[in-house]
Amino acid sequence: MGIADTYSDSRRFVVARPFALVVGLLVVLLAVDFVSGLATGRIAVSDVATLVWDGLMQGLVVGLAGIGLSMTYSILNFANFAHGDYITGGAFSGWAVTYLLAGLGRADVGSLLLVGAGGSVFGGALGIGITATPIAVLGGLVFAGLFTVILALVIDRLVYRSMRDQGGISLLIASVGIAFALRYLIAFVFTTENRGVTDAGGVPEIQGYLLDGYVAISAHDATLLVVAVGLMLGVHFLLQRTKLGTAMRAMADNEDLARVTGIPTERVVRATWVIGGALTGVAGYMFVLWKGTIGFNDGWLLLLLVFAAVILGGIGSVYGAILGGLVIGLTSSMSVLWIPSDFARAAAFFVMILVLLFRPEGLFEGRSTA
Amino acid sequence: MSESEPTDERPANAGAGTDTNEKRNATTDTDTGTDGTEGTSKEETAAATDDRGARSAAETAQMDAAESLLAVRDLDAGYSDLRILYDVFLDVADGEYVTIVGPNGAGKSTVMKSVFGLTTYMGGSITFAGTDITGRSPEDIIHRGIGYVPQNDNVFTSLSVAENLAMGAYILEDVPEEALREVYERFPILDERREQKAGTMSGGQRQMLAMGRALMLEPDLLLLDEPSAGLAPDLVEEMFDKIDEINEAGTAILMVEQNAKEALRRCDRGYVFVQGHNRFVDSGQALLEDEEVRREFLGG
Repeated sequence: MGIADTYSDSRRFVVARPFALVVGLLVVLLAVDFVSGLATGRIAVSDVATLVWDGLMQGLVVGLAGIGLSMTYSILNFANFAHGDYITGGAFSGWAVTYLLAGLGRADVGSLLLVGAGGSVFGGALGIGITATPIAVLGGLVFAGLFTVILALVIDRLVYRSMRDQGGISLLIASVGIAFALRYLIAFVFTTENRGVTDAGGVPEIQGYLLDGYVAISAHDATLLVVAVGLMLGVHFLLQRTKLGTAMRAMADNEDLARVTGIPTERVVRATWVIGGALTGVAGYMFVLWKGTIGFNDGWLLLLLVFAAVILGGIGSVYGAILGGLVIGLTSSMSVLWIPSDFARAAAFFVMILVLLFRPEGLFEGRSTA
Repeated sequence: MSESEPTDERPANAGAGTDTNEKRNATTDTDTGTDGTEGTSKEETAAATDDRGARSAAETAQMDAAESLLAVRDLDAGYSDLRILYDVFLDVADGEYVTIVGPNGAGKSTVMKSVFGLTTYMGGSITFAGTDITGRSPEDIIHRGIGYVPQNDNVFTSLSVAENLAMGAYILEDVPEEALREVYERFPILDERREQKAGTMSGGQRQMLAMGRALMLEPDLLLLDEPSAGLAPDLVEEMFDKIDEINEAGTAILMVEQNAKEALRRCDRGYVFVQGHNRFVDSGQALLEDEEVRREFLGG
């Protein structure tokens, strides 16, 4: 290839994809700024480490919540907009149990079950934390999973099942309705007030000195890491090594063929809700444990990021959801180096759009659970 | 055979128009034996006569319907509102190799799908090993001993060869070792590529995998929808040899084929379908030698 060819190739690229060029320049600019900032000390290494850690944690929550959404998408062929409120439902149910276990005898049962609605009892006062009240936290975690499984199965039985062969759009619209119904039911029972649930000051943390400052990792961060990574490995094992998991992949691949092969598709659908529901409930509980507050809008707001992660990873792919979650978490966390934190979400969506422009099918070419 | 139920009393199908009427006339002619009095065109008369010819042959075949592994009687079926099959009959005896041939749109695949409960049932009966299986779920039909290899998209592309075969035996507690070994022996290429993703295999290999998957439950009857479709000519021969082997091992075969000559050469009995009706039925050899069948369906 001669010089003239090279020249015309690059020229053609610029003409054909001017947007790619702009994005490329932007990335280079940010990278240069980042490196020079670190070199001059304008950006502290320990701050960056804190942001990366924070992004990783947020990414784990989003990824964990995304697995359930991706699973139901690949097997049931519809985007479940009520997923965010499954997250909230799981969180409230789990925290009600945690309050009950931690505060039994110290406050009245009603206030505890309503997760201290109306300021009747405070999580901080109950001293809730993974180290202080491990049984209450673990009990709540398990219950959050169980409750969300039941919630998902009941809604499937009442609404989605009868609509199974009506196509993705009808199901999607129905799920939006369910989302609103659930959210305001939760708001009605638990009130709309955002409240702290953990004894934030009492959570032990490890601080490490990194070049120019401290980086802290709390016991709740560690819990989230262990639970999320453990469940992700569990899902991987399920999908790749078990008969049910293989059937789920087969059904995501070709539902008609799965049926004529003798795979009991309705049972696989139910298993999908069970697994997806459990992961979603746990994700909701862990999200609240990690950030320390609970509110009726938590899941709905998180859902935007979850959708971004799932689409980024390739909708329908479980591994894509995990990777997408991490990308979204890290992006929104790191973006505060350049933009106000209020715009962190916007940055995450911007990155999602960028990735989709270059890889429209997502990182893991959606629609295959593998 | 309940021929008393006149076809033309059933509601005409939306969209089928004159075509349906023509077919219904043809059937009525046969039913009443008034050879072509209602038919106006020469073609219709001819069709009616042939239809009757097919029936008399079939009635002979139905004498021993009790011995049939699969017995289809007066089957009317289609897809939602669209009727495709009209009073279709078909028998497969234990261990028999039966082929359905006919032009496009004859309803060949629809018969097969109907056996597997994948079409809209509109009347008639399908019995397998003495049990009425009309309207049963595919899962149940598989349990009873029928395996089905669809024409297109018949492997799970994102699953490995071994996983595809394991899915074939999903209804069993564990993967049957014996059957798995036999499948690998029958199709050595699958043995060599156990871990390969099915989506990366060639058309012929996929077809072998699809057959292997259907054989995992050692069915008494194997339904094959166009097994040679899209295969290179040298592979077609190999595919037919494999089917012969499967049949010789005792599995009855019901096959739909575009490659009519080759299919009829190899099968025990053949059915010729035209526009959702039975047209001829006889031994494969007799159909190959029949002047009319040759001229109309086998290209001379």
